[in-house]
Amino acid sequence: MPARFTPPVRYAVACLACATVASSFSAGAAAPGDLQGVVHVAGRTAKEVVIWLEAPAAPPSPGRVTATLDQRNMQFVPRVLAVRVGTQVRMPNSDRLLHNVFSFHDGKVFDLGLYPVGTSRVVRFDKPGLSRIYCNIHPSMGAYVVSVDSPYFAISDTQGQFAIPSVPDGTYTYHAWRAGAEPASGTLVAAAGRAVEIELP
Amino acid sequence: MTGRIAFIALLACARPSSAQTGAVEVVQSAGMSNELIGGVGVQVRGLFQPAGRFRIYLEAAWGDRSSAGSDVFGTAYPYGGKVDAIENYGELTVQTSGLRFLKAGRYRTPFGLANASDHAYVGFLRPPLIRYGGYFALSSGYLEEGADLVAGVPHLSAEFSLGRSADVGSARRRPGALNKVGRIEGSLGPIIVGASVLRTMPDQPAYFAFGRATFRGVDARWMQAGVQIRGEWIDAVPFEGTTTKGGYLDAIVHTRVMGPVTALARAEKLDYDTPVAAYRLFTHRYVAATRIRIWRGLSTSLGVSHQGGRLTQHRPTAFDAGVSWALRKDFASGQ
Repeated sequence: MPARFTPPVRYAVACLACATVASSFSAGAAAPGDLQGVVHVAGRTAKEVVIWLEAPAAPPSPGRVTATLDQRNMQFVPRVLAVRVGTQVRMPNSDRLLHNVFSFHDGKVFDLGLYPVGTSRVVRFDKPGLSRIYCNIHPSMGAYVVSVDSPYFAISDTQGQFAIPSVPDGTYTYHAWRAGAEPASGTLVAAAGRAVEIELP
Repeated sequence: MTGRIAFIALLACARPSSAQTGAVEVVQSAGMSNELIGGVGVQVRGLFQPAGRFRIYLEAAWGDRSSAGSDVFGTAYPYGGKVDAIENYGELTVQTSGLRFLKAGRYRTPFGLANASDHAYVGFLRPPLIRYGGYFALSSGYLEEGADLVAGVPHLSAEFSLGRSADVGSARRRPGALNKVGRIEGSLGPIIVGASVLRTMPDQPAYFAFGRATFRGVDARWMQAGVQIRGEWIDAVPFEGTTTKGGYLDAIVHTRVMGPVTALARAEKLDYDTPVAAYRLFTHRYVAATRIRIWRGLSTSLGVSHQGGRLTQHRPTAFDAGVSWALRKDFASGQ
């Protein structure tokens, strides 16, 4: 169900979420579990929707975090990648062609130049936001990297289902992004054994 | 037959995977030139990965044009008015022990910048002079039916192909001894360079062309900030007593401010030398072209080329225009 809040209410919800997360981390009152749910867009399940929870009090990532955005059969795999801020994303060329990966728009701006089959380049996504990724040789290739300032995030699968691991019980402000649509926000309650449903317009 | 046996052997080596992925792509194109030639074409490609390190590539094309009197539309696909099987191969990827790829079936002759995406119809309308079969050089329609091995590390690799000719289009090599192709490719920082050798039969009739054909070539590519520079140079003996030397240099630009527009500038030359003075061909060409992405898979290409020397092009300056529509469907199962 879409939820829209005025700034003061949103602030209060965020504070509540912060407090909940902080208390969870400090006291360990609730054992963290996977937050499972399903995303609907206009009543139908939706894939490749990035869901993340606000958690400003969450601890930083332990050590170096990496993810992979592969190039295979003239496609980026996956097409949508969500990472936490600070993640180093490997971009190997697993194809049989040369590629030139770049991002010129919002988010992380970079141009990796031409690199051969079997080699890889690394990009660190050091601020939150959406980066649109392209290949300058093959215009049909495109991908999105959504960098979020939270350890709690997931991408919905082909059935619209998602699972965010190790979420402490509590009330959270969530954000949802999908290609071609405005980002949406709302609140949800994470509790052991309870699945959530997110409705987007 | 050689390629089919090798393909089946490769398939037997492949281990099934729990996840099968693939994609089917259809590209439809149409274009015309002020040389009063029109062309249409459809390419269908399938990429399948039934096993973890094994993939199958299938491709067929149909194309037709109102006249063969020019090299316009003579890119990576034949225009014979019938369906042709193009590349059909299986490839095993092994990223250990120095062996990297083993391919069997029917595939483009791995000489220089030979991938379909380098010279295919989607993009710019005229192939480089050294890639057009009618000029005693290479042909974009050269195909090998056999086995191909790539070994080495990513920054330096060697490739060797052994097979027989399975060409499409108007330039078809005569049957004879097996074709041998050797290639080395290395990268020096942002520059990727390669050198290739091809030993094969001529694509002219036996009463005209004696002996065998040998092609030697070098190629290089560099790309940064949306600017790609690439080129090839060949030094060939298309048949006994003749030589073909030539190459091209491309600058392909697609920077941030250009949005959906990609621009190409090409300078090229080709010299075919033969003891019979009347048949000698010394020519050069300059091309300016652009590809504009209109919406999703729909794009248009516009090109103007100016040439000197004797070629099949009717006019010294030609204008070409085309439109392409590409559809792609990816699928995955058994994740």
